[in-house]
Amino acid sequence: MRQGSICRTRLAFATAFALVAAAGLATAPLAAQEALSFSDEELERGQRLYQAHCGRCHGVLGLGGEGPGLAVSRLPRAPDHAAVIDLIRDGIPGTGMPGLRDTILPDEEAALVAAHVISLRQAQLVEIPGDPERGRQVFETAGVCYSCHIVEGRGVGIGPELTGIGMRRGPEYLRASLVDPSAELPVFRSGARSGFAQYLPLRAVTRDGTVYEGMRANEDAFTVQLITGTGSIVSLRKADLAELEKRFGHSLMPATMNLSSEDIDNLIAYLASLGG
Amino acid sequence: MNRFASLAPAGHGRTPPATLIHGLLACAIIVPGCGPAPEGSVPEGTPDQTRVPFERIVNADAEPHNWLTYSGNYASHRYSRLDRIDRSNVGDLRVLWAYQMDDGIIETTPIAVDGILYVTEPPSTVSALDARSGRRIWTWSPEMGPDVLNIGFPEVNRGVAVLDSTVFVGTLDAHLVALDARSGAVRWDVEVGDNAIGFSLTLAPLVVKDKVIVGVSGAEAGVRGYLDAYDAATGELAWRTYTIPAPGEPGSETWGGNSWETGGGSTWLTGSYDPELDLLYWPIGNPAPDWNGDVRPGDNLYTDCLLALDPDTGEMIWYFQFTPHDTHDWDANQIQVLLDAEWEGEPRKLVVTANRNAFYYVLDRETGEFLHGREYSKQTWAEGLDENGRPIVIPGTDPTEEGVLVWPSLQGAANWFSPSYSPRTGLFYQPTRIMGAVYFKADVEYVPGQPYTGGGEQALRGEEASGAIKALDALTGELVWEFPLLSPPWSGAMATAGDLVFGGDNEGNIFALDAETGEPLWNFQSGGAVRSGPMSYEVDGRQRIVSSAGGTLFVFGLD
Repeated sequence: MRQGSICRTRLAFATAFALVAAAGLATAPLAAQEALSFSDEELERGQRLYQAHCGRCHGVLGLGGEGPGLAVSRLPRAPDHAAVIDLIRDGIPGTGMPGLRDTILPDEEAALVAAHVISLRQAQLVEIPGDPERGRQVFETAGVCYSCHIVEGRGVGIGPELTGIGMRRGPEYLRASLVDPSAELPVFRSGARSGFAQYLPLRAVTRDGTVYEGMRANEDAFTVQLITGTGSIVSLRKADLAELEKRFGHSLMPATMNLSSEDIDNLIAYLASLGG
Repeated sequence: MNRFASLAPAGHGRTPPATLIHGLLACAIIVPGCGPAPEGSVPEGTPDQTRVPFERIVNADAEPHNWLTYSGNYASHRYSRLDRIDRSNVGDLRVLWAYQMDDGIIETTPIAVDGILYVTEPPSTVSALDARSGRRIWTWSPEMGPDVLNIGFPEVNRGVAVLDSTVFVGTLDAHLVALDARSGAVRWDVEVGDNAIGFSLTLAPLVVKDKVIVGVSGAEAGVRGYLDAYDAATGELAWRTYTIPAPGEPGSETWGGNSWETGGGSTWLTGSYDPELDLLYWPIGNPAPDWNGDVRPGDNLYTDCLLALDPDTGEMIWYFQFTPHDTHDWDANQIQVLLDAEWEGEPRKLVVTANRNAFYYVLDRETGEFLHGREYSKQTWAEGLDENGRPIVIPGTDPTEEGVLVWPSLQGAANWFSPSYSPRTGLFYQPTRIMGAVYFKADVEYVPGQPYTGGGEQALRGEEASGAIKALDALTGELVWEFPLLSPPWSGAMATAGDLVFGGDNEGNIFALDAETGEPLWNFQSGGAVRSGPMSYEVDGRQRIVSSAGGTLFVFGLD
């Protein structure tokens, strides 16, 4: 059921894109934009390169996903074409955005990708229903989100920090995380742990029968570190364990079934506004 | 600067080839920790640590306190006969000293000669260290411009070779350099290949008799590979054997058109040597371009082969091809382990190897005859091996433009990192990468000095891949035990007469397992990924275990 609603959302955005494009709105707000001299062929090539290198996280239409949507009016980290190129090259440390070296994306291609990203920004396709201010109230009250998340220094750091989350995740991804958090755990996208699940629930039983439950903080062949639901950080040696269950397909984040769809929309609008 | 600074050569650059003068070398001796000794002040009988004649390497097993060649002995066992550190006390192992290198990946296996460790640092630096304290005696770096090419591999070096009083190192810009073992001064320097078209050296050379054998990297740049032997005294080229036959030569019928000219076949990992048979065993790398086989129809001999060669002439005696017409970059550049055993009731001289293609092979090393093979890690590209050892390839496993998921990944189930063979347990310890990849094919055109690969891969990562130290029956390849690792490893293994197996993982652990059972007995969290050639030596009668991790070389002991 929840999967279905995600699909409908995706379809709705695709339809919106088609409508906006058909209405000729895609290039509308050009007044304040820099003039870029790329041919249609080059822009088309930039789009294909974008889809290959960036689409997986930012969405093939730029509507976001695991990464933020780029079809927004303003890219705070990359205000112009040159800055987009720099960001593509350098990545954003501490986030899932890797730097693409020129061996992967030559200078000429990086310029075309950046041109496509700029054109996405001009298209401004990302529309988020809901009221951010009412969403903030939901976050504080009915959602009890602060009990596990930190926003701008307030809250408890058990789940992912949500400060600036609107700059790191797209609205679709935020919706999926809210309505079905167990469907897909976030994954490290760069660094030594690239590809490993984050916030993986573990159940560890020591040889003397003590049970620990929490999220994996780290692991190697000999040890495992986990954070319990009450925030304790536990260090265990695998040699001392009788059992170590990795609970893929589960999240410690409760599904927000008790929220109305309106509240969920408002909550997404609030989260998307963070850092935006 | 350390107290031995005066010993460092004034210039670190290259000098023209010079003649080795043996007579001058016998009269000065360095005592580790004591600095340069004036002539005549050293007690009689003190060994000259800087003299390693060929015979000592042949008999390396007789002096386990040293580590005289890359894999410990010519049979490439990477097995230490030292047994003071064993299962009863390994839990007390601790760091005694560490040597920090500049940024880069450390894959060196130190050579230990009577109290001196000769190590390489990335990219192509050589340092001599006091094996007791870790203090540096001398260091040497080649002058290499910023435009040095290393296409298809990182800027690494896996170690030196030592013969008599000379240390030999291959450089990233494809030179072979002979250094005075006492001072680091250059004796001679030759260009092995043209770096501008992709030739490079990362392997530890192998000395055999009076020659230095050295192989090349460069298949990802479309070179035509070869193996070289140089006169150890003068640097003169003694022989060169191409791994890709020219038209009219045996094997040339396995290359379509002019594809042989850019056929790859690198020789980038150290081979093995049998002094009794007087045969050199050298593994050969992948064909070029890697993933687009359309441009090179045929079996592409002698890529992905093991060659047996006459070490005096370079003449090929026999070959065995593991992966005909390879389209997955499965170089055969893994360590070739020589062992003698009963085979079907008869004593047999064998060579065994765990190949990158995920099969384990047992060959007769006199004739190259295939005796046995079996899968040792997950693979999805072959139904098995036929009676001649040729893989029965599953259709539809070649790379395509859309991508095809195949195990193992292009880095293979095994790679450069060394296995170990313990004659005490009869087990072959193989760090194993259990990882699949989506392989892509692309159009490709040869441009000198540019990548010539014709595709690529997207490897499965994180939770979808894993690793293990696998203990295989050396004669059958059957799994006896395995120790699981979180991710596909990049570090070699070393077994010891203390019935331990040392290894390392990407998560930073340097560890010891029970060689008979695989039970973990000791681990040290180094804080850096381990890509090590572990080895052991003895100083002051005390055993040392050496492994690198991150940017640091660690030396462990019980005292």
